[in-house]
Amino acid sequence: MAQKFNARLAIAAAVVLIIILAAGFYLFAGQGGEQAAQAPTVVIGVTDSVTELDPATSYDFFTWEVLSNVMAGLVTYDPDTGEIVGDLATGWEAREGGKVWVFTLRPDAKFADGTPCTAQDVVRSIKRVMTIGGDPSWLVTEFVEDVRAIDDYTVEFRLKQPVGYFLAVVATIPYHPVHPNYPDNEPAPDATWGGCGPYKISEFKRGEYIVLEPNPYYYGEKPKNGKVIIKFYESSQALRAALEAGDIDVAWRTLNPADIRDLQDRGYNVKEAPGLFIRYIVVKVDAPPTDRKEVRQALAAAIDRQELADRVFQGTMEPLYSMVPSGLWAHYPAFKDKYGEGANIDLAVQLLRSVGYDENNKLKVELWYTPTHYGDTEAQLAAVIKEQWEATGLIEVTLKSSEWGQYVEQLSQGQFMLSLLGWYPDYLDPDNFLTPFLLSTANTWTGTGYVNPQVDELLQQAMTETDQETRAQLYKQVQEILAEDVPYIPLLQGKLYVVLGPNVVNVEISPLQFLIYSSIEVTG
Amino acid sequence: MGSLARYIALRAALIVPSVLILYTIVFVVLRVIPGDPVLAVLGTKSVPPEELERIRERLGLDKPLYQQYIEYLMGVLRLDFGESMVYTGRPVWNDIADRFPATLELAVFGFLASVVLGLASGVAAVKGRGPIRALANFYAVTGYTLFIPWIGLILIYVFAVNPILPFRLPVGGRISPEVGLREVTGLYIVDSIITGNIPALIDVLAHLVLPSVTLGIVLGSAYARLVRSHLREVLASEIVAGYRARGIPEILLLRHALRNTMVPIVTYMGLQFAILLGGAVLTETTFSWPGLGTLLLERIELRDYTAIQGVVIFFAFMIGLVSLVVDVIYALLDPRIRY
Repeated sequence: MAQKFNARLAIAAAVVLIIILAAGFYLFAGQGGEQAAQAPTVVIGVTDSVTELDPATSYDFFTWEVLSNVMAGLVTYDPDTGEIVGDLATGWEAREGGKVWVFTLRPDAKFADGTPCTAQDVVRSIKRVMTIGGDPSWLVTEFVEDVRAIDDYTVEFRLKQPVGYFLAVVATIPYHPVHPNYPDNEPAPDATWGGCGPYKISEFKRGEYIVLEPNPYYYGEKPKNGKVIIKFYESSQALRAALEAGDIDVAWRTLNPADIRDLQDRGYNVKEAPGLFIRYIVVKVDAPPTDRKEVRQALAAAIDRQELADRVFQGTMEPLYSMVPSGLWAHYPAFKDKYGEGANIDLAVQLLRSVGYDENNKLKVELWYTPTHYGDTEAQLAAVIKEQWEATGLIEVTLKSSEWGQYVEQLSQGQFMLSLLGWYPDYLDPDNFLTPFLLSTANTWTGTGYVNPQVDELLQQAMTETDQETRAQLYKQVQEILAEDVPYIPLLQGKLYVVLGPNVVNVEISPLQFLIYSSIEVTG
Repeated sequence: MGSLARYIALRAALIVPSVLILYTIVFVVLRVIPGDPVLAVLGTKSVPPEELERIRERLGLDKPLYQQYIEYLMGVLRLDFGESMVYTGRPVWNDIADRFPATLELAVFGFLASVVLGLASGVAAVKGRGPIRALANFYAVTGYTLFIPWIGLILIYVFAVNPILPFRLPVGGRISPEVGLREVTGLYIVDSIITGNIPALIDVLAHLVLPSVTLGIVLGSAYARLVRSHLREVLASEIVAGYRARGIPEILLLRHALRNTMVPIVTYMGLQFAILLGGAVLTETTFSWPGLGTLLLERIELRDYTAIQGVVIFFAFMIGLVSLVVDVIYALLDPRIRY
């Protein structure tokens, strides 16, 4: 028995070894030949994953990126100017003071199987989002009262109230028309029928890869590659290794800051773009000691954002002096105007002393962070902020952390005195960087407890106003009040990095921060 | 054999209460720890609060706990593991069906690698000569302390990024999309064989090498230590001394001694294999292997109650099944065991 067992083991080991060696030789022999024969395929690596391939239910950055490459919306952003331009729509008109919006569609849009994409498809898809009521459905139901097709190429939206930035909302994924195969009242998380965008989904293996091929009926410019493969990696280390090994052509989201710098030093082409992702501290304004405005202002004054960007993120993020990121039209660096550029220790000390704190009676604060959700730099970020605050000599900081699921609940219950958080917008408008934080009926999720009737009024006014100049003025006022009241301390704004393999010539990123797959050019 | 059948039936029946107990514990723990699936996914987005309430209702989170408990259990009895609470409308069973084949493949190959490496170095640690013996001993003692992501990254750099072999192994994943494998069972090795897709078979095996070897190196050292100590003990026993005195060749002795050491080792192997079926989280993460371990980790962070419950119940079944098989092997291996 034992004899047999050992003999079998030996044979098994030998077989495995032979297979491995054979595989090796095959790979070695195969590598050269295949590459030359194939049309230019682009392989993109990410650490994200595709959640639900359905505009009615998906609500995460990366799935939206994939869908934005597969589906076309009524409007989109011009990658060069950042302006909203027509995509499926050739024109639009706001009526009744922004309460009714009418879009005219192009006649030549088709789904990947040749089915024409008409106004009825747009209406059906948006109604579908409302019926299914998935996570992102509020982007439709909050604004839209009703949508109908006037004829095959005209769509009319009737809104609940006038919305000045409705075009930015329409540009989001839930408004993108889907193929008639999608069932009307249930989600299709693994569906590959797609929309009428530049690509079609030819294969999706959840957790492994997704393969996109050009939509032969696409009305716009043909993609610059023959096929896109997106591979999913579990860690940023693996993503980096895959790029260096040549398994992927493009390393996209998300590499570690240190790896990006290192790859750059090793001669990789690193493409940088301004990001819309912001980091900030939520300040609880309805409990001591941060219920005193002077305390909050002192905390804001003592922050050195450049140091945070350099030491923690190696320059892959940049200082942010408002909740509205720079690059967006209503951005006004209110915190820089009020507290200066670096750490304003003198002002912080003066403010703290004015409310009775001194060396023997230090201000004691708790700063909360969550260790993994924002990457593994988070503990260091908290530590550096602690250092900066304690540099005033009048503040004593206790760092506390909890893991994500718990963190969010504690946050919404207002259990944190100070907590680190991040934000990525749902739609590209200053409103989405201010209203969710400052409007007293909308900001309960942050647990800040901030209520200011004046701000509420300004925000409501800016929402219904259609003139951009007037809106910018209103948002400037809001940002000034933000820097005065300090219910939030804006810290940093992300930059985007795409690291390109040696054979990649060109890559473009859309103003929504999505990689535009059709722009990726590789040399064969 | 009648008694063996009865023994198996009894052992199988015992799986039911253990699954039930585990389900209850997981259910309670999930509800006790702070956070819920709606907050974890949408808590920091500008979703209106009343919308959050509506989504909670849709997921059934507003129902009383006992009702949630019973409804889910009733579902499982009908083999319905419920729908994910974070991926709308996607059955949990689909996730398990997606991920389990990956886990099984890695478990089998990692297990084989660990057994081969462990047994070989265990024997070498006792019977080997000079540096081989020293090396085997060193491995037996230190192997288990190796941190999987670390050793994994080293292997990736040596065999994938800057390959020292004339060919290059993949950094991660299970398969290259280019080989065009038609999926039948989800076990890519089996699929590539039954569809006669040789390039796919080779590609799949190439993807398996590094994760399996990594697992094998770390887990094998435990076997090595077990084999080493038991073998020493058996070889030092009087009966072996007696055999030796009668001039029985050393290789024959070793064979018999090894069989005697196998009983505790098989028990350990069974346990180890069962644990591997639960997904080797660190290995899966290092090699981007889409298995159950990473699935569970991801869903715990998102508080996907139904998915966590489903996966844990599935684990409990698998572990019950494996320990049943181990008990049977154990009984066959050691004639003294009565059932």
